[in-house]
Amino acid sequence: MVAADAELVRTIAAGADDAPAAEAELCRRFAPRVRLYGLRHLRDPDRAADLVQAVLLAVLQAARTGRIDDPERVDRFMLGTSRNVALRMRELDGRTTSDTALAEIAAWDPAHAPERLDAAALVRCMAALDDRGRQVVMMSFNDERPTEEIATLLATTPGNVRVVRHRAIAALRRCLDAREEADV
Amino acid sequence: MSCTNPVPWPTLVDYWARDLDDDATDVLEEHLFGCAECTAASARVAGVTEGVRSAIPPLLSRQRLDRLRESGARVRENHFAPGERRWVEFARDTDLLIHRLGGLDLTGATRVDLRITQESTGALIAAVDDGAFDPDEGAVLIACQRHYQTLPHDTVMSVSIQAPGVPPRTASYTILHRFV
Repeated sequence: MVAADAELVRTIAAGADDAPAAEAELCRRFAPRVRLYGLRHLRDPDRAADLVQAVLLAVLQAARTGRIDDPERVDRFMLGTSRNVALRMRELDGRTTSDTALAEIAAWDPAHAPERLDAAALVRCMAALDDRGRQVVMMSFNDERPTEEIATLLATTPGNVRVVRHRAIAALRRCLDAREEADV
Repeated sequence: MSCTNPVPWPTLVDYWARDLDDDATDVLEEHLFGCAECTAASARVAGVTEGVRSAIPPLLSRQRLDRLRESGARVRENHFAPGERRWVEFARDTDLLIHRLGGLDLTGATRVDLRITQESTGALIAAVDDGAFDPDEGAVLIACQRHYQTLPHDTVMSVSIQAPGVPPRTASYTILHRFV
Protein backbone atom coordinates (compact mmCIF):
# COMPACT_ATOMS: atom_id res chain seq x y z
CA MET A 1 0.00 0.00 0.00
CA VAL A 2 1.28 3.46 -0.87
CA ALA A 3 1.99 5.65 2.15
CA ALA A 4 0.15 8.94 2.33
CA ASP A 5 2.20 12.13 2.25
CA ALA A 6 1.44 12.72 5.94
CA GLU A 7 2.68 9.25 6.80
CA LEU A 8 5.99 10.02 5.08
CA VAL A 9 6.36 13.20 7.11
CA ARG A 10 5.73 11.29 10.36
CA THR A 11 8.25 8.63 9.36
CA ILE A 12 10.88 11.30 8.68
CA ALA A 13 10.16 12.98 12.01
CA ALA A 14 10.51 9.65 13.84
CA GLY A 15 14.02 9.30 12.39
CA ALA A 16 13.89 5.50 12.22
CA ASP A 17 15.68 3.30 9.69
CA ASP A 18 13.01 3.89 7.07
CA ALA A 19 13.32 7.69 7.30
CA PRO A 20 15.76 8.03 4.35
CA ALA A 21 13.40 6.09 2.09
CA ALA A 22 10.52 8.29 3.23
CA GLU A 23 12.58 11.40 2.46
CA ALA A 24 13.36 10.12 -1.02
CA GLU A 25 9.71 9.32 -1.65
CA LEU A 26 8.55 12.73 -0.44
CA CYS A 27 11.09 14.38 -2.76
CA ARG A 28 10.02 12.17 -5.65
CA ARG A 29 6.41 13.21 -5.22
CA PHE A 30 6.91 16.92 -4.74
CA ALA A 31 9.93 17.78 -6.87
CA PRO A 32 7.84 17.99 -10.10
CA ARG A 33 5.32 20.28 -8.40
CA VAL A 34 7.98 22.63 -7.06
CA ARG A 35 9.81 22.60 -10.37
CA LEU A 36 6.68 23.64 -12.26
CA TYR A 37 6.02 26.35 -9.70
CA GLY A 38 9.56 27.61 -10.24
CA LEU A 39 9.27 27.48 -14.00
CA ARG A 40 6.05 29.46 -13.85
CA HIS A 41 7.27 32.13 -11.43
CA LEU A 42 11.02 32.33 -12.03
CA ARG A 43 10.78 31.80 -15.81
CA ASP A 44 14.01 29.89 -16.04
CA PRO A 45 14.64 26.12 -15.92
CA ASP A 46 17.94 26.48 -14.07
CA ARG A 47 16.44 28.70 -11.42
CA ALA A 48 13.48 26.33 -11.14
CA ALA A 49 15.97 23.53 -10.46
CA ASP A 50 17.59 25.70 -7.80
CA LEU A 51 14.19 26.26 -6.26
CA VAL A 52 13.52 22.51 -6.11
CA GLN A 53 16.70 21.93 -4.16
CA ALA A 54 16.18 24.83 -1.78
CA VAL A 55 12.53 23.97 -1.05
CA LEU A 56 13.10 20.25 -0.57
CA LEU A 57 16.04 20.96 1.70
CA ALA A 58 13.96 23.35 3.82
CA VAL A 59 10.98 20.99 4.00
CA LEU A 60 13.11 17.95 4.87
CA GLN A 61 14.88 19.88 7.59
CA ALA A 62 11.51 20.95 8.98
CA ALA A 63 10.21 17.37 8.82
CA ARG A 64 13.30 15.95 10.51
CA THR A 65 12.92 18.34 13.43
CA GLY A 66 9.15 17.92 13.71
CA ARG A 67 8.42 21.48 12.64
CA ILE A 68 5.63 20.57 10.22
CA ASP A 69 2.72 21.11 12.57
CA ASP A 70 0.08 19.45 10.43
CA PRO A 71 1.55 16.61 8.35
CA GLU A 72 -1.84 16.17 6.67
CA ARG A 73 -1.23 19.55 5.03
CA VAL A 74 2.34 18.96 3.92
CA ASP A 75 1.31 20.00 0.39
CA ARG A 76 0.38 23.46 1.71
CA PHE A 77 3.63 23.58 3.64
CA MET A 78 5.51 22.75 0.45
CA LEU A 79 3.62 25.45 -1.49
CA GLY A 80 4.20 28.05 1.23
CA THR A 81 7.90 27.24 1.28
CA SER A 82 8.01 27.45 -2.51
CA ARG A 83 6.40 30.87 -2.44
CA ASN A 84 8.77 32.17 0.22
CA VAL A 85 11.91 30.82 -1.39
CA ALA A 86 10.91 31.99 -4.87
CA LEU A 87 10.19 35.45 -3.49
CA ARG A 88 13.59 35.51 -1.84
CA MET A 89 15.25 34.33 -5.04
CA ARG A 90 13.57 37.08 -7.01
CA GLU A 91 14.62 39.65 -4.42
CA LEU A 92 18.18 38.45 -4.39
CA ASP A 93 18.09 37.81 -8.12
CA GLY A 94 20.70 35.21 -7.49
CA ARG A 95 21.12 31.54 -6.91
CA THR A 96 20.57 29.68 -3.70
CA THR A 97 23.22 27.44 -2.31
CA SER A 98 22.79 23.84 -3.26
CA ASP A 99 22.83 20.69 -1.21
CA THR A 100 24.65 17.84 -2.94
CA ALA A 101 22.59 15.06 -1.36
CA LEU A 102 19.36 16.72 -2.34
CA ALA A 103 20.64 17.39 -5.81
CA GLU A 104 21.15 13.65 -6.18
CA ILE A 105 17.70 12.90 -4.81
CA ALA A 106 16.11 15.35 -7.20
CA ALA A 107 18.14 14.07 -10.12
CA TRP A 108 17.77 10.32 -9.88
CA ASP A 109 14.16 10.12 -10.98
CA PRO A 110 13.57 10.96 -14.66
CA ALA A 111 10.15 12.31 -13.69
CA HIS A 112 11.96 15.25 -12.13
CA ALA A 113 13.66 16.26 -15.33
CA PRO A 114 12.09 18.98 -17.44
CA GLU A 115 10.51 17.75 -20.65
CA ARG A 116 13.07 17.77 -23.42
CA LEU A 117 11.08 19.15 -26.25
CA ASP A 118 12.09 18.20 -29.76
CA ALA A 119 12.63 21.72 -31.09
CA ALA A 120 12.50 20.64 -34.73
CA ALA A 121 9.24 18.82 -34.11
CA LEU A 122 7.90 21.99 -32.55
CA VAL A 123 8.76 23.92 -35.72
CA ARG A 124 6.83 21.39 -37.81
CA CYS A 125 3.89 21.25 -35.45
CA MET A 126 3.71 25.05 -35.41
CA ALA A 127 3.60 25.02 -39.21
CA ALA A 128 0.68 22.61 -39.07
CA LEU A 129 -1.43 25.01 -36.99
CA ASP A 130 -3.85 27.32 -38.74
CA ASP A 131 -2.64 30.90 -39.18
CA ARG A 132 -4.71 32.32 -36.34
CA GLY A 133 -3.66 29.64 -33.88
CA ARG A 134 0.00 30.12 -34.74
CA GLN A 135 -0.26 33.89 -34.36
CA VAL A 136 -1.94 33.64 -30.98
CA VAL A 137 0.55 31.08 -29.67
CA MET A 138 3.57 33.12 -30.78
CA MET A 139 2.14 36.38 -29.46
CA SER A 140 1.20 34.78 -26.13
CA PHE A 141 4.32 32.82 -25.35
CA ASN A 142 7.17 34.07 -27.54
CA ASP A 143 6.30 37.77 -27.61
CA GLU A 144 4.80 37.67 -24.08
CA ARG A 145 1.89 39.89 -25.08
CA PRO A 146 -1.14 40.10 -22.76
CA THR A 147 -4.41 38.62 -23.99
CA GLU A 148 -6.12 42.00 -24.32
CA GLU A 149 -3.32 43.34 -26.51
CA ILE A 150 -3.46 40.27 -28.75
CA ALA A 151 -7.21 40.71 -29.08
CA THR A 152 -6.73 44.31 -30.18
CA LEU A 153 -4.03 43.42 -32.70
CA LEU A 154 -6.14 40.63 -34.20
CA ALA A 155 -9.38 42.64 -34.05
CA THR A 156 -11.16 40.08 -31.90
CA THR A 157 -12.18 39.59 -28.28
CA PRO A 158 -10.02 38.39 -25.37
CA GLY A 159 -12.40 35.45 -24.97
CA ASN A 160 -11.81 34.41 -28.55
CA VAL A 161 -8.03 34.69 -28.08
CA ARG A 162 -8.26 32.34 -25.09
CA VAL A 163 -10.33 29.79 -27.02
CA VAL A 164 -7.94 29.88 -29.98
CA ARG A 165 -4.99 29.52 -27.59
CA HIS A 166 -6.46 26.54 -25.70
CA ARG A 167 -7.16 24.74 -28.94
CA ALA A 168 -3.80 25.56 -30.48
CA ILE A 169 -1.86 24.36 -27.43
CA ALA A 170 -3.93 21.15 -27.39
CA ALA A 171 -3.19 20.66 -31.10
CA LEU A 172 0.53 21.22 -30.53
CA ARG A 173 0.52 18.75 -27.64
CA ARG A 174 -1.18 16.09 -29.78
CA CYS A 175 1.20 16.75 -32.66
CA LEU A 176 4.30 16.51 -30.44
CA ASP A 177 3.03 13.33 -28.76
CA ALA A 178 2.30 11.74 -32.13
CA ARG A 179 5.82 12.53 -33.37
CA GLU A 180 7.33 11.17 -30.17
CA GLU A 181 5.37 7.92 -30.54
CA ALA A 182 6.39 7.65 -34.18
CA ASP A 183 10.05 7.94 -33.17
CA VAL A 184 9.84 5.13 -30.60
CA MET B 1 -5.74 8.06 -6.25
CA SER B 2 -7.66 9.71 -9.05
CA CYS B 3 -8.44 13.42 -8.86
CA THR B 4 -12.11 14.08 -8.21
CA ASN B 5 -11.95 17.63 -9.53
CA PRO B 6 -9.43 17.76 -12.38
CA VAL B 7 -8.32 21.20 -13.54
CA PRO B 8 -9.69 21.86 -17.05
CA TRP B 9 -7.16 22.16 -19.86
CA PRO B 10 -8.17 25.79 -20.69
CA THR B 11 -7.45 26.83 -17.10
CA LEU B 12 -3.99 25.29 -17.26
CA VAL B 13 -3.28 27.05 -20.57
CA ASP B 14 -4.44 30.37 -19.06
CA TYR B 15 -2.18 29.73 -16.07
CA TRP B 16 0.88 29.20 -18.26
CA ALA B 17 -0.11 32.19 -20.40
CA ARG B 18 -0.08 34.24 -17.16
CA ASP B 19 -3.67 35.10 -17.89
CA LEU B 20 -5.22 34.14 -14.53
CA ASP B 21 -5.68 36.75 -11.81
CA ASP B 22 -3.79 36.39 -8.52
CA ASP B 23 -6.65 34.77 -6.61
CA ALA B 24 -7.31 32.19 -9.30
CA THR B 25 -3.58 31.50 -9.54
CA ASP B 26 -3.36 30.90 -5.77
CA VAL B 27 -6.33 28.52 -5.80
CA LEU B 28 -4.94 26.61 -8.75
CA GLU B 29 -1.48 26.27 -7.22
CA GLU B 30 -2.97 24.97 -3.96
CA HIS B 31 -4.73 22.30 -5.97
CA LEU B 32 -1.64 21.44 -8.01
CA PHE B 33 0.54 20.99 -4.94
CA GLY B 34 -1.95 18.48 -3.56
CA CYS B 35 -2.61 16.63 -6.80
CA ALA B 36 -0.08 14.59 -8.73
CA GLU B 37 -2.54 13.96 -11.55
CA CYS B 38 -3.18 17.64 -12.27
CA THR B 39 0.54 18.38 -11.84
CA ALA B 40 1.18 15.90 -14.64
CA ALA B 41 -1.44 17.62 -16.81
CA SER B 42 0.10 21.00 -16.02
CA ALA B 43 3.51 19.65 -17.02
CA ARG B 44 2.09 18.59 -20.39
CA VAL B 45 0.85 22.12 -21.02
CA ALA B 46 4.10 23.66 -19.80
CA GLY B 47 6.09 21.35 -22.05
CA VAL B 48 4.53 23.11 -25.03
CA THR B 49 4.19 26.66 -23.75
CA GLU B 50 7.69 26.90 -22.31
CA GLY B 51 9.09 25.32 -25.45
CA VAL B 52 7.47 28.06 -27.51
CA ARG B 53 8.56 30.70 -24.99
CA SER B 54 12.22 29.74 -25.20
CA ALA B 55 12.29 29.14 -28.94
CA ILE B 56 14.27 31.44 -31.17
CA PRO B 57 11.86 32.33 -33.97
CA PRO B 58 12.99 31.73 -37.56
CA LEU B 59 12.66 35.47 -38.31
CA LEU B 60 14.85 37.71 -36.19
CA SER B 61 15.30 41.44 -35.83
CA ARG B 62 18.84 42.80 -36.00
CA GLN B 63 18.46 43.91 -32.38
CA ARG B 64 17.60 40.41 -31.17
CA LEU B 65 20.44 38.96 -33.20
CA ASP B 66 22.85 41.40 -31.58
CA ARG B 67 21.57 40.36 -28.15
CA LEU B 68 22.14 36.70 -29.00
CA ARG B 69 25.67 37.53 -30.10
CA GLU B 70 26.29 39.44 -26.88
CA SER B 71 25.05 36.45 -24.89
CA GLY B 72 27.75 34.33 -26.50
CA ALA B 73 26.00 32.72 -29.45
CA ARG B 74 28.38 31.89 -32.29
CA VAL B 75 26.80 33.44 -35.34
CA ARG B 76 27.67 33.25 -39.02
CA GLU B 77 25.84 35.14 -41.75
CA ASN B 78 25.09 34.20 -45.34
CA HIS B 79 23.82 36.75 -47.81
CA PHE B 80 21.26 35.77 -50.41
CA ALA B 81 19.73 37.68 -53.31
CA PRO B 82 16.19 37.02 -54.56
CA GLY B 83 16.04 33.96 -56.82
CA GLU B 84 19.43 32.71 -55.72
CA ARG B 85 19.93 28.97 -55.16
CA ARG B 86 23.00 27.57 -53.45
CA TRP B 87 24.42 25.33 -50.75
CA VAL B 88 25.33 26.55 -47.29
CA GLU B 89 27.18 24.72 -44.56
CA PHE B 90 26.18 24.66 -40.91
CA ALA B 91 29.59 24.18 -39.33
CA ARG B 92 30.30 22.58 -35.96
CA ASP B 93 31.48 25.86 -34.46
CA THR B 94 28.21 27.63 -35.28
CA ASP B 95 25.17 28.10 -33.05
CA LEU B 96 23.15 30.23 -35.43
CA LEU B 97 23.48 30.41 -39.18
CA ILE B 98 21.83 33.59 -40.29
CA HIS B 99 20.49 33.74 -43.81
CA ARG B 100 20.24 37.39 -44.74
CA LEU B 101 17.60 37.44 -47.44
CA GLY B 102 18.36 40.68 -49.20
CA GLY B 103 17.15 42.69 -52.15
CA LEU B 104 13.89 43.53 -50.40
CA ASP B 105 12.09 46.81 -50.52
CA LEU B 106 10.73 47.17 -47.00
CA THR B 107 9.62 50.77 -47.49
CA GLY B 108 6.32 51.29 -45.70
CA ALA B 109 6.14 47.61 -44.79
CA THR B 110 3.69 46.78 -42.05
CA ARG B 111 4.06 43.03 -42.03
CA VAL B 112 6.41 40.33 -43.23
CA ASP B 113 5.34 36.68 -43.59
CA LEU B 114 7.64 33.76 -44.25
CA ARG B 115 6.92 30.32 -45.60
CA ILE B 116 9.61 27.65 -45.71
CA THR B 117 8.87 24.72 -47.99
CA GLN B 118 10.83 21.70 -49.13
CA GLU B 119 12.19 22.23 -52.65
CA SER B 120 11.83 18.60 -53.69
CA THR B 121 8.29 18.02 -52.45
CA GLY B 122 6.73 21.43 -51.90
CA ALA B 123 5.74 20.41 -48.36
CA LEU B 124 5.41 23.19 -45.83
CA ILE B 125 8.18 23.04 -43.21
CA ALA B 126 7.67 26.23 -41.22
CA ALA B 127 5.50 29.32 -41.28
CA VAL B 128 5.93 32.69 -39.65
CA ASP B 129 3.18 35.28 -39.67
CA ASP B 130 4.00 38.90 -38.99
CA GLY B 131 7.62 38.14 -38.17
CA ALA B 132 10.29 40.52 -36.97
CA PHE B 133 11.98 42.79 -39.52
CA ASP B 134 13.87 46.07 -39.68
CA PRO B 135 12.66 48.49 -42.37
CA ASP B 136 16.16 49.91 -42.84
CA GLU B 137 17.86 46.52 -43.20
CA GLY B 138 16.66 45.92 -46.77
CA ALA B 139 16.60 42.26 -45.86
CA VAL B 140 15.07 39.82 -43.42
CA LEU B 141 17.15 37.63 -41.15
CA ILE B 142 16.44 33.92 -40.95
CA ALA B 143 17.87 32.15 -37.92
CA CYS B 144 18.83 28.65 -39.02
CA GLN B 145 19.41 26.56 -35.91
CA ARG B 146 21.25 23.30 -35.21
CA HIS B 147 18.09 21.36 -34.42
CA TYR B 148 16.78 22.14 -37.91
CA GLN B 149 19.07 19.38 -39.16
CA THR B 150 16.23 16.91 -38.64
CA LEU B 151 14.08 18.95 -41.02
CA PRO B 152 14.43 18.73 -44.81
CA HIS B 153 17.70 20.32 -45.98
CA ASP B 154 16.46 21.55 -49.37
CA THR B 155 14.43 24.62 -48.58
CA VAL B 156 12.67 27.38 -50.43
CA MET B 157 12.16 30.50 -48.34
CA SER B 158 9.35 32.70 -49.59
CA VAL B 159 9.04 36.17 -48.13
CA SER B 160 5.88 38.23 -48.48
CA ILE B 161 5.98 41.92 -47.61
CA GLN B 162 2.77 43.80 -47.01
CA ALA B 163 2.45 47.57 -47.16
CA PRO B 164 -0.68 49.71 -47.31
CA GLY B 165 -2.00 50.53 -50.75
CA VAL B 166 0.29 48.27 -52.75
CA PRO B 167 0.11 44.58 -53.64
CA PRO B 168 2.24 42.25 -51.48
CA ARG B 169 5.87 42.11 -52.61
CA THR B 170 7.33 38.63 -52.68
CA ALA B 171 10.76 37.07 -53.11
CA SER B 172 12.05 33.49 -52.95
CA TYR B 173 15.43 32.05 -52.07
CA THR B 174 16.46 28.41 -52.39
CA ILE B 175 18.82 27.39 -49.63
CA LEU B 176 20.31 23.92 -49.55
CA HIS B 177 21.73 23.01 -46.16
CA ARG B 178 24.61 20.78 -45.26
CA PHE B 179 25.07 20.13 -41.54
CA VAL B 180 28.54 19.00 -40.47
